[in-house]
Parts: sequence; C-alpha cells; structure tokens
Amino acid sequence: MKINPKIDELLNSFIDGELSPRQQTEVQRLISHDPQIGQRLRQLQKCKMLVSSLPFVQAPPGMLENIKTALEREALPIGPAAGRSPSEQRAGQRHLFVRKVLAVAAMVGLVAVLAIVIYSIVAPRLTPEPHIVATRNLPTVVEPVKPALPAMTAKFNGRLELKTSAFIEVDASINRAIADNDLLDCISLAREPDASEYVLACSRKGLSLLLADLESIWARLDSATLLVQTKEFGRPVVVNAVAPQQILEIAGQNSLERSIEVAKDFAALNNMAELLPGKEVLTAINDRTSDLITGPRIPKPVLTGWPKMIKESTTQTTFAPAKVNLAITVIVGK
Amino acid sequence: MTEATNINIDDALLVEQCRLGRSPAMERLILKYQNRIYNVILKICANHDDAAELTQETFVKVIENIDRFECRSSFYTWLFRIAVNLTLNHCQKSVRLRAKSLDAQDDEHSEDARNLLQEFLSDDSSPDPAAVAQNKELCRIALKALADLDNDHRAVIVLRDIEGMDYARIARVLGIELGTVKSRLSRARSNLRQILETVCNEDKSKNR
Repeated sequence: MKINPKIDELLNSFIDGELSPRQQTEVQRLISHDPQIGQRLRQLQKCKMLVSSLPFVQAPPGMLENIKTALEREALPIGPAAGRSPSEQRAGQRHLFVRKVLAVAAMVGLVAVLAIVIYSIVAPRLTPEPHIVATRNLPTVVEPVKPALPAMTAKFNGRLELKTSAFIEVDASINRAIADNDLLDCISLAREPDASEYVLACSRKGLSLLLADLESIWARLDSATLLVQTKEFGRPVVVNAVAPQQILEIAGQNSLERSIEVAKDFAALNNMAELLPGKEVLTAINDRTSDLITGPRIPKPVLTGWPKMIKESTTQTTFAPAKVNLAITVIVGK
Repeated sequence: MTEATNINIDDALLVEQCRLGRSPAMERLILKYQNRIYNVILKICANHDDAAELTQETFVKVIENIDRFECRSSFYTWLFRIAVNLTLNHCQKSVRLRAKSLDAQDDEHSEDARNLLQEFLSDDSSPDPAAVAQNKELCRIALKALADLDNDHRAVIVLRDIEGMDYARIARVLGIELGTVKSRLSRARSNLRQILETVCNEDKSKNR
C-alpha cells in the first residue's frame, strides 16, 4: 500500500492529537471516503500502541548514590562541599582571579625593575654638557666630585691661582677670552676689588680653547699655581709656575688618578726648574720692571708659538668628553 | 504563551534551591526524574549498563551547569535535551547497538511470537494495550524493531510514544523545527511498521 507522505504526516498528527478541530474533521472525512487511508490509520495506531505498551523500566537501585559519588568526585556542591553555595564559590573564583592578576602585575613590575637595572649597567652613559655651579662667595664651592666614576667620565677639579701686578689687564683678557670662546654659559664670576674668581665648568675642549687665548697674559703674571684636587680632602697637588700647556695636559688625562700623577710630575719638574742656576735670568725675563726688558726681549721658549700648537691640537686630539671644573683666581700680586 | 510561563513551579523552586547549594533539593530533582530519564535513555540506547551510565552522566552535567539554566524553557525540557543529546552522541560512537539489542541477543523470533505479531498487526484486531504490555514476546519484538530504527527516528518515537511529549516539546528537546518533527515521526512510524511486517514475513520467506 503506497500512501502519500503528506497523508501519513496528517494521519500521525491525527493519532497524536496535534490537529486543530477543523483538521480533525477533515481527516475523519478522508478516512470515511477512502478505505485505504482508514487502513493506514489503523496500522499507524497499532505501531504507536505497540511502542507505548512497552514496559516502563525503573532506574537501577543506587542511582542517586552513584550520582552523588560522581558529583563528589568532581568537587561539586553536594556531599562534603554542600556547605558552600554557588555564590560563595563564585566569590572564591573572583578572589582567585584577583590574586592571579596581582601576581601577574607583580611579575611584570619585577621584570621592569630588572630591565631598568640591566639597562643602567649595560647601556652607554650619556653625559650631558654640565651646567655651571655658581656662587658669588669666595672661595667658590664647586660641585662635589662624584665618586667611582668610570675613567673616561672622571672630573678634573682644580684651582688656578694667578697673581699679577697688572690685575686690570689680566682680568680684562680673561673676560675677553671667555667671551671669544663662547664660554659665558660655563663660567660664573665672583669679583672683589683686588681679586676675581672665575669658576669654569666645561669640557676639556673648552678649557683648551680658553687656555690658548690666555697664553698672552702669562707674561704679565707674577705667579701661576695650579692646585689639583685629590681624593684626600684638603691635600691638593700644588704645581707652582704652571704653564698653560701643563694645565691642559693635567686636565686632559682620562682618569683623575692619572691627572694627579701628571700634576705631581709637573710640580716636581717646576720646583726643580726654580732651583736650577740661571733662575735669575728667568726672573729677569719675566720681570717687566727689569732693565733687560728694555733691551731685546728674549722670548719665553716654552710659551713661544704654543698657542698655535694648542689650537691645532684641539682639532687633532680627541679629548675625553669628561667635565673639567677649574676655578681661576686672579689676585693682585704683592 | 511561552514555555517559561508554564514552568513547573515545583521544579523552579527545586532548581532555585539547587543553585543555593541545597543538597536535599538536588536529591529531590534526581529522584523525581531518574526513572523517566533512565527509561527513555534505555529505549534509545538499548543497553542497561549504558543507560545507567548515561543517566548518571546526565544528572552530573545538569547539576554542574545548573547556574547556566536560564529558565527560558522548563527544567524538564532542559533535562531531557541533555539526556537525549548525550544518548544520541553515545549511540553514534557506539558500535555495540546493532550487536546487542535489548533482551534480544538473537534475531530469531519464535513462531508463536510471529503469529502473535501477525494477529496484532492484522487490520481487524483491536487488542487491549494492557494485554500487549503483558506479552513478553511481543514486547521483545517491539524492542528489537525499535532498536533497528535509525537513531533520530528512534529518539522521536521514544519521546512521543514512551515519554508522551507533544510535538512542540520534542522540537525543543531535539533542537529541530516543528515540521521536521512531524515528517521525522511519520517516517519513523512507517519504517517501524515495515520492520514489524518483515518480522511477520520471516516464516513465509523461510518456507519458500
């Protein structure tokens, strides 16, 4: 018997009571008019009846206990964990989440700190051009030397005491040299009636340029003394009769220790030169009031031509980028 | 009217208490539905051990996810949806179903059983359903025929004729359209009828 699937669907819906009253009436009319449809309806009804008549089988005993055991195994809120409500569990989960977030944040912070520390050790140190530490009072307190700096960045700290009878000229020359070399930003000045102090904080290159221009005043000086600050406070190395080239050489060393050693050498050398015979000649040469000055002047061998050398050397020599702190004091000579 | 408004008040209360972690409410829900769930699963998977295991798994999953139940459908529908999905997944994976049909280890039926079925299926008979239920041979044949259906056809017949769900609820449990339920149920019954007729005709084909 071949039945249209749509008719089958309609008959099944009729059997299951899923039709509206109008559809039910329609199906009943179909059945009464077509014996085949009536027969098909009875076949489907018997299928339904056969399945519906199958015995109801109850769950095996102990199902509840088995489910509870399975839930306990999975740590669900039954049995031992029954005292904790889902809301409490959610709160616990939130707490756990916050702790995890905090732990991650702490880890990130720790890594950042470590990165900064490592960077500060590994990365090249850039030393910006220093600014002036200025004071109006004498003696000037220069910015303290930072301990344990690497060799190439060690500061040179020194004091140059110039005594001269031609105070005004010397002072004017120094001012002009400072202006000519664009060192106004690196100099602070303290001035008294019979003394001036220039506190210079600049690069070694700046110092060399300044000293090259100051060479001309050396002939007018009564004395030039360089005091190089050592690590022992109050015990500087004193270099008497210091020449500009010597100052430059002392300040141009790559380490503070080396600068001190060179200063000591020059100090010894200059002291010996003072004791050598013929000092009188040197004094006469340097003394402007001497009779010798009226005659043909003997040029000072050390100073002759050295400004040119300094100027050239500044272009040829690569100076350490380190800072130089030099206080130049000009005092009226006695 | 949506199903949510028809939600069984008792179930809703038990579900709410379940969410608060009350063990007695969970136990009541399990005791209330365990037999029906087991019976439906057994009729679909046709194996007692598998049915027990799947019933247990169903309730564990339900209680695990009770917080996610949004009351858009009734708890009953949600529960049966989980049970049927688990069972159908199991049936798809299992190769035992064909080999081990419920209470019918061999495909042979006695002549008495076949005669009984023939009499039952004859157009003129109108047997008492209670009498059919008490006839173990007939039940055995019916279970065998049910097990021979496709999984989808078996599920829709079990939900309608054993669990007694209406078409709309079957659609929600199986996650299909209402029209699909009608056509699938129609084909399932038609196939079941053919299987039963084949059983009746076994004797005739052997005698030829």
